[in-house]
Amino acid sequence: MTQKVIQILTLNDGPHDFARLFGIWNDVNDYFEDIRFDFSRCGFLRPNAVAFLGGLARLIESRMGSVTFDWNTLHNSWVRTTIRQNGFASAFGDPSAPWDGTSIPYREDTALDMNGIMDYLTYDWLGKGWGKTHLSERVRDAIAGKMWEIYNNAFEHSDSKIGVFSCGQHFRNKNELCLSVIDFGLGIPAKIRNFVGTDPRAQSLPSDACLRWAFTRGKSTCTGGVARGLGLDLLKEFVRLNQGKLEIYSNDGYTIVDKDGERYENRDISFEGTVVHITLRCDENLYRFRDEAEQP
Amino acid sequence: MKLSIKDQIGLRCIIKEDGQKIYDAIHGALQNGETVTLDFEGVNQFASPFFNFAIGQLLKDIPEADLRRLLQIKHLNETGKLVVERVIENAAKYHGDKDYRKIVDDILEQQAKESG
Repeated sequence: MTQKVIQILTLNDGPHDFARLFGIWNDVNDYFEDIRFDFSRCGFLRPNAVAFLGGLARLIESRMGSVTFDWNTLHNSWVRTTIRQNGFASAFGDPSAPWDGTSIPYREDTALDMNGIMDYLTYDWLGKGWGKTHLSERVRDAIAGKMWEIYNNAFEHSDSKIGVFSCGQHFRNKNELCLSVIDFGLGIPAKIRNFVGTDPRAQSLPSDACLRWAFTRGKSTCTGGVARGLGLDLLKEFVRLNQGKLEIYSNDGYTIVDKDGERYENRDISFEGTVVHITLRCDENLYRFRDEAEQP
Repeated sequence: MKLSIKDQIGLRCIIKEDGQKIYDAIHGALQNGETVTLDFEGVNQFASPFFNFAIGQLLKDIPEADLRRLLQIKHLNETGKLVVERVIENAAKYHGDKDYRKIVDDILEQQAKESG
């Protein structure tokens, strides 16, 4: 079979960049695909793109396809250093071993590993650079608990056969700390439509309306007699209080929660799965308990 | 009855399986009207699945007022307290069996409000 070459262009974390990533998903979304990713036109890769491409590669492999990351085509030194340091390159055939630097590791979870994920959030994501020097241990613990809700939701609801993929980065020049958590499961709108499937209107429910419902406190597709549906609500509240940004792309639905409120949209491009992308502002005065002194 | 959560579960109260362990340990005593103290000394990290199962599901057969009287929570930090309060509030409103038709009505009603 002929190898399909996919050009990886410069990828940031705006809606246009996510549309490009979903376009790539669309191009390789078949069984027995034989794919080579070419980086010769790539000048920058944000962690959302790293996590997405990692998950996509595992998805292709799970469908009896093959994936080659052509590291010889990667000429941009920042991208090369970052994805070597964070372990992404070695996860996909590059001989260099990752090292413990300022980058936040690329991570693949095939099961909900509480201590592994909580250690990652506490010590790798929040425990390096700005987080280590400017946040108290108590604040780091509190934020990590909120972020756990993303992983819990992904494992509890997505039905992803290949697990969950994440990567983060601290951008010193922008004062931002990002985390992307991605699954290639059903997607939130599809999950809700299936959940209420006995109702004849279920399949025509728009994705933006489904996402709005999922973001409402106490709403959950879990059954079994135990109340749930707090995870997204707690996360939303945390992000808003700290003037950060929470974005979710799921199927063709899109949600953004930021200081201006929350908005829900339907987009032209869709993929099977969910991206949760969090951007925190690195201002330590936003993250402290009432009894902790303000930074001068 | 007094339980040290750190001894029973460890430093992290995160997952539903650990919450279920605590529920199983205290449910009978609370049903019998005994006072139960949960001591969170030394526990640093919290998430809602733990409390949904440890405490939220107690409200299935114990009224909220009784639970608040019988269950004493010690040394829980600010983050944990926020989650517990949310969990109790949410569980008290929860209606076990799902009415799918009602969910679709809710979704469409919210949608109509937004677009109107």
